[in-house]
Amino acid sequence: MSENEPKIIGFCCNWCCYGGADTAGTARMQYPPNVRIVRVMCSGRINPSMVLKAFKEGADGVFVGGCHMGDCHYDAGNYKWRRRAKFVEDLLPEFGIDKERFRFEWISASEGEKFQKTMEEFRNSLKKHGSLQRSFSK
Amino acid sequence: MDSNYLLARAKDKDLLEKGECGGAVSSIFQYLLDCNLVEGVLNLSHGEDIYDGIPTLIEDSNDLIETCGSLHCAPTMFGELISKYLQDIRLAVAVKPCDAMAIKELENRHQIDSDKIYKVGLNCGGTVLPITARKMIELFYEIDPADVVKEEIDKGKFIIELTDGSHKDLKIDDLEDEGYGRRVNCQRCEQMVPRNADIACGNWGTEPGWTFIEIITPKGKELVEGARQNGYIEVKAPSEKAVAIREKVESVMIKMARKFQDKYLEENYPSLEEWDEYWNRCIKCYACRDACPLCYCRECELEKEFYQDSENTPPDPLTFQGVRLSHVCYSCINCGQCEDVCPMEIPVARIFHRMQKKYRDQTGYIAGMDEELPPLYSPEKE
Repeated sequence: MSENEPKIIGFCCNWCCYGGADTAGTARMQYPPNVRIVRVMCSGRINPSMVLKAFKEGADGVFVGGCHMGDCHYDAGNYKWRRRAKFVEDLLPEFGIDKERFRFEWISASEGEKFQKTMEEFRNSLKKHGSLQRSFSK
Repeated sequence: MDSNYLLARAKDKDLLEKGECGGAVSSIFQYLLDCNLVEGVLNLSHGEDIYDGIPTLIEDSNDLIETCGSLHCAPTMFGELISKYLQDIRLAVAVKPCDAMAIKELENRHQIDSDKIYKVGLNCGGTVLPITARKMIELFYEIDPADVVKEEIDKGKFIIELTDGSHKDLKIDDLEDEGYGRRVNCQRCEQMVPRNADIACGNWGTEPGWTFIEIITPKGKELVEGARQNGYIEVKAPSEKAVAIREKVESVMIKMARKFQDKYLEENYPSLEEWDEYWNRCIKCYACRDACPLCYCRECELEKEFYQDSENTPPDPLTFQGVRLSHVCYSCINCGQCEDVCPMEIPVARIFHRMQKKYRDQTGYIAGMDEELPPLYSPEKE
């Protein structure tokens, strides 16, 4: 992968989005290799601080995938995450990070195609923004 | 006593004389202690001078006289004191609106037991940092700060009384234009009447020597009624005019606060470059966290290994204040303690207040006023 390709950290829930990525893989759908997937048990497990840490360590974009509303394996985890995600969108600009660099989506285990499409879209939009230039420097 | 508004004053001679506005608040505390309704009263007592207030637990009603009088130049925070050290006793506490907000948030987090605590609210138009107060008395009043024996904020003026009994006052607006006056978070605060306490006491709309009391909760009603029946306070109904004046004062102050919110959180809000300069000053002393009344975790995520930078200071703001913001900013009550204690003078409270306002606009959650935790914690599917 070339130097100017954006780095994406993708947090995917074990039951839906991770399965979706798997489906895309087994069906040999091509999607950008920019995303480094971290599997979590539920999108409700993701804290804003995990997103912040990813950006701090040099991610150009952070993606979070969970189950569709109503499909959460643990009943209501994705509702909790959605409320947190809205907050993350408000918080990032305060530190000079464009909220376009943060994306969350609901992808089921059967939606390999949606996973593929989302990754392509996200990569293309990040490519347009260029690599993340943090204004904070010591 | 049907109305929720009344005027009250002490029956005890000493309290009537020494207490602020007729000493009604001190008398209510006296009643609570004498009748063993509480084991202690948490209040401020005078320190060395008027710029010094010491949080004090009073257990004998004869000691209440030490806590009489106003201390606008000693901004303190009681919420954390109660949750950390006074959880197990039945307590009455004199609260500014921000104290009451902190207590409410801690009650929602099961850190304070609301059944054990009487909250006697004091109306508050703002507090002044002791250092600022000293400087402005020297500069604008042209008086040695040590000669001031009493201070008061009334009708938009900061009034000082000198050793010889003379008074001098200046308009707070003028002082604030020069960068002095009330703390900036107080300027932004729109909670002047503590409607999250049991009763709210103050001097707006009242006649000299009387305290205006607004009863807020049934517990507050019982409290005032008890103090009256047991002969600690005398009460009378306020005139319609008095109620109207009080409402007017409040609405004017709220309007002003909104103006200051726009000024500090939008128009003059630091740019990203300015924030970078601020964050670069950070020495990672954790004072902001330690002073925050809402940060109650015994094990703090900020000290976890995975947030440590290779070089220690300044920490990356994303994983320092960013993490703190993600933990508590929904509930930020804008008490300004974080900013007060910051040795590097980083205006921390501004970013917290701004984020709380964003959250409030989105969800309607007003920190420190709601009976429930922010919707973020809700188990509901919405």
